[in-house]
Amino acid sequence: MTDHVTFPDAVQWAVPFFIAAILAEFLWIAVKGRGGRYETRDAVTSLIMGAGNIASGFLLGFIAYAFFMWLWQITPLNLGTSIPVILLCFVLDDFRYYWVHRFGHRIRWVWASHVNHHSSQHYNLTTALRQTWTYTFTFMMVVRAPLILLGFHPAMVLFVGGLNLIYQFWIHTEAIGKMPRWFEAVMNTPSHHRAHHGRNARYLDCNYAGVFIIWDKLFGTFVPEQEDDRVDYGLVHNIGTFNPLRVAFHEWVGIWRDATQPGLTMRQRLAYCFAPPGYSHDGSRDNSEQIKAKHLDRHPEDRGTPGFEQFDTKQPNTQAKQA
Amino acid sequence: MPLEILLVLVVGGIAGITLLLHLSGRSRLRVLSPELAWSEWLRHAPDDAIIDVTVAHDGHAALIRTESGNGLLWSFGADTVARHLLDFDLLDHPQGFEVQFHDFGTPKAIIHLDERERRHWQHLMEPA
Repeated sequence: MTDHVTFPDAVQWAVPFFIAAILAEFLWIAVKGRGGRYETRDAVTSLIMGAGNIASGFLLGFIAYAFFMWLWQITPLNLGTSIPVILLCFVLDDFRYYWVHRFGHRIRWVWASHVNHHSSQHYNLTTALRQTWTYTFTFMMVVRAPLILLGFHPAMVLFVGGLNLIYQFWIHTEAIGKMPRWFEAVMNTPSHHRAHHGRNARYLDCNYAGVFIIWDKLFGTFVPEQEDDRVDYGLVHNIGTFNPLRVAFHEWVGIWRDATQPGLTMRQRLAYCFAPPGYSHDGSRDNSEQIKAKHLDRHPEDRGTPGFEQFDTKQPNTQAKQA
Repeated sequence: MPLEILLVLVVGGIAGITLLLHLSGRSRLRVLSPELAWSEWLRHAPDDAIIDVTVAHDGHAALIRTESGNGLLWSFGADTVARHLLDFDLLDHPQGFEVQFHDFGTPKAIIHLDERERRHWQHLMEPA
């Protein structure tokens, strides 16, 4: 199929809105004296990462698009471009986003791309723009293949993906507490996403949703933000640089150094590339399960509470297992 | 959107927001007290048992002695970064020391110390 379909690049058209919203959030915080924090170099790094993300789309986007157009040529299905089809595509693409995002936290190769989004210790609207430059190298574009093979046009799939990212912009704020209960139940919100950005043991590997939080509830990864466990933003091991190049590539460099050190088996080298972040062949690092287990050793009262449900409430002092 | 307009928006937006933040005082470094350095270290390394904390006179760095070895905590914008002193080089710097960590994501920290502090810190940071 080679019919010509075009959709606008929604993210590019949203740039003026992004700038206006950042100014509005900053003014709100300045006037109210609450609702978040801004720091110059942190914010500038985030904004440059956002600009670099757009630039990487110009430079490398053709790879994914060529792959999608090849899929479009081989599929016999064409669902058209009606409004119901676009809405269905949006929902299914959000389901795709959930899994790509989950892979992004559980597979180090994909985490290497996504980590920069979590590398700020701040949480404001500029953090939303701290986006990857290296997504193409994760090959996660293959997760979109089923949508195109089902008959959703590649241009439409990319369009709804852009809308998904735009939706996620506004949830990167501390200026909004909780939304109405029905909204919190179905949609991803600032509260849910704050928890996702937490480096606290409780919040590791939770709330992967893009637009609909229902995916996390369906697949057991939902953790509600807790009033008595304030979210501490950033990475388990926070980086000490504002240099965008280092922010963009530090985990890739880490993979290279780990996987090429002498004396490892092939299995260990592959684990440094594809195991969950925190893997080490000698037990010198902790993955998220081990961090949670150690937290419960220090705070047994948290056993069985949100984020720690997987730990048996009847077995205190669980020893961390090496990955 | 035409590329020229996108470029103007992105460059102008970044420049404008940078200027606004800097002029409104959002470029200040975090100032550490001994108590704050203690709690910040435990935020970064919750498993550690701290023995004592030495804060630099300028309040932007602290040397943390723990039962598992020494660590360095330093101001990073409005926040802090912490590293155990395991694989590092300590270099002289006109204003104190430069600590190089051999880590692409945290290449170095510059610690501002006066002459009296410099000798004390060097003694503390020497491997046991």
